[in-house]
Amino acid sequence: MKVLIIEDERPFLREIKAFLEKACYLTDAAYTALQAKQMMVENEYDFILLDLGLPDSDGLDLLNDTKKMCPKASYIILTARGKLEDRIKGLDLGADDYLPKPFSLLELQSRMHAISRRKSGNNDPVVELGDFNIDLNKRTVRFEEEEIEMSRKEFDLLSYMLLHKNRPLTRMQLSEHIWGNFSDEDSDSNYIDVHIKNIRKKMGVFAPVDWLQTLRGIGYKIKI
Amino acid sequence: MIFFVALLPTLVNRVSFQYTNYFLGQQKKKVLNVIDRNGIDYYLQGDSAYASYTMLKEEYISLVPAIRDNVRDTIEISRRVIEKDTLNYRILIHELKSDNKNYILEIGKTTSTIGEYNKLLQRFTLYILIGLILLSLVVDLLYTRILLRPLAKIVSTKLVNRKFPFKEPLSPIKTSTTDFKFLDSSLISLMVKMHEAFDKEREFTSNASHELMTPISVLQSNIENMMMEEGVNDEMQEKLLGLMKTVGRLKKIVHSLLYISRIENDQFARADKVEVHELSEQVMEELLVRLESKSIHFTNNVTPGITLLQVNRDLLFQLLYNLINNAIRYNNENGSIYLSDSYHHGKEYVLTIKDTGIGIRQEELAAIFNRFKKSGNEDGEGFGLGLSIVKSITDFHGIQISVQSVYGEGTTFNITLPESSIQKNEGFR
Repeated sequence: MKVLIIEDERPFLREIKAFLEKACYLTDAAYTALQAKQMMVENEYDFILLDLGLPDSDGLDLLNDTKKMCPKASYIILTARGKLEDRIKGLDLGADDYLPKPFSLLELQSRMHAISRRKSGNNDPVVELGDFNIDLNKRTVRFEEEEIEMSRKEFDLLSYMLLHKNRPLTRMQLSEHIWGNFSDEDSDSNYIDVHIKNIRKKMGVFAPVDWLQTLRGIGYKIKI
Repeated sequence: MIFFVALLPTLVNRVSFQYTNYFLGQQKKKVLNVIDRNGIDYYLQGDSAYASYTMLKEEYISLVPAIRDNVRDTIEISRRVIEKDTLNYRILIHELKSDNKNYILEIGKTTSTIGEYNKLLQRFTLYILIGLILLSLVVDLLYTRILLRPLAKIVSTKLVNRKFPFKEPLSPIKTSTTDFKFLDSSLISLMVKMHEAFDKEREFTSNASHELMTPISVLQSNIENMMMEEGVNDEMQEKLLGLMKTVGRLKKIVHSLLYISRIENDQFARADKVEVHELSEQVMEELLVRLESKSIHFTNNVTPGITLLQVNRDLLFQLLYNLINNAIRYNNENGSIYLSDSYHHGKEYVLTIKDTGIGIRQEELAAIFNRFKKSGNEDGEGFGLGLSIVKSITDFHGIQISVQSVYGEGTTFNITLPESSIQKNEGFR
């Protein structure tokens, strides 16, 4: 997967780049709209991450232009503006998702996954987790033929951890994913524990859930 | 005016005495005419003196030989005895010569009749005076009404019915009075200035929040990447987690500020219809885990079938979410939360959120909607911006919100909507 990151804030771009490379993406970076256009002429990309506040052009204008140059790519708008009109306009212009700054890099990756899954159809949506099968499209958890009932939030949490398996996830990152802007500063962390407890209880009836590890003082991790 | 009223009796007295003097003078002339024509014997008829009086002794005329010479014409008040009655008269005394004899002519009029005149005159004057006062009052009132009409208009359009912030444009009122024009234009310019300052503050909040977003993003992604590094030991990991929490708080604050400034900048549409019961159920679903983790008992008594008109669904969700979330957060284990509503026919609709939590101290109650006001709770946790958001949402919708609390027993929030903004489904009691 090849990703073009268009972002004028260099330290931020560096972090996104480092993160995505670790997640095995190939990345290119552009700091200006002009640079971005040149790169798009030379390369093909699967993902284009687009900041709206570029020094030489408005991101939405750039999106309009580049949609023609790279029609196959998936576009995610990254912005600090966060205005509703921008969001609607961006999605109207053909962006696949819209991520207001500041966002978690894990959230970015999770959005990219969701887009890939959506675009590629039923391309391997069922993931194995221990003795369980998890269907990300149908949003079901199965043990052999038995379907385990999960609440919406529990499933969100499980699939998010699964996507970022083998990585320590803080309670804050988890709560931000499932509650978004409704998350509180500190108090949410306890509620994540409740959800995890429920997941363990529901799935533990069928088979051991030792892949779901508690990291003392930090959070949780799915280890496979 | 008072001076005039005080002087009135004296004045009337004077007038009536003057009139009496004049009257006596006229009578004297008549008598002298008769004497000239007919000689003094016409009166005396052989007697040495003559006296005549009216039936009630109000007036009398007497003609007696003069005892002294050279009595000048005088008018005086003195007593006379007439047929055993002693009465006070105002008397004109005149000396006349006839047939080489001197006579004294006295023409008198009782002072009591003068007084009666006097009283009548006084009463009459008083009535006129009262009438004049009333008339002038009415005229004054009407005139000032008309004169001050622009002032009333300025007060009602510019001051009383104005809600801050002043969003609608201001138009000068029509008046030909320069003073009012000046007042009006001064008020307009003051309000424009206030509005500008307010706008600037909002713009600043919005811009500052936006500007903060990028550096926070950098920080957050930085920390996230560091946590992923291999060879980071547990101690390090915990420190990074601490950093992340701080960044998380920062993020939350900036988010809230942006949210408030977006509400205040009218970036939300008011085009939704929201069924209150349904909305409350959705909020509860979102908060279920929190309720369970604290074993809080929740009762939803909201009447189904009440729809709020012209509102923003997301904002109302956030409003209810924040209030109930607070009710959970500041509640005790095994506490309770009651959500209920009441409809006052023809007046208003009230939604009540009541909890059995830790309560708010009386002295803090007034400031809970203020931004960044810290509460005096032992854990040092403030109310944050949650209630500021609530306040800006209610202000945006023109909803009233009030709070009562007993420290240690619980808090009640009342949200009051005018009847015009709700719709009852059929079959509603």
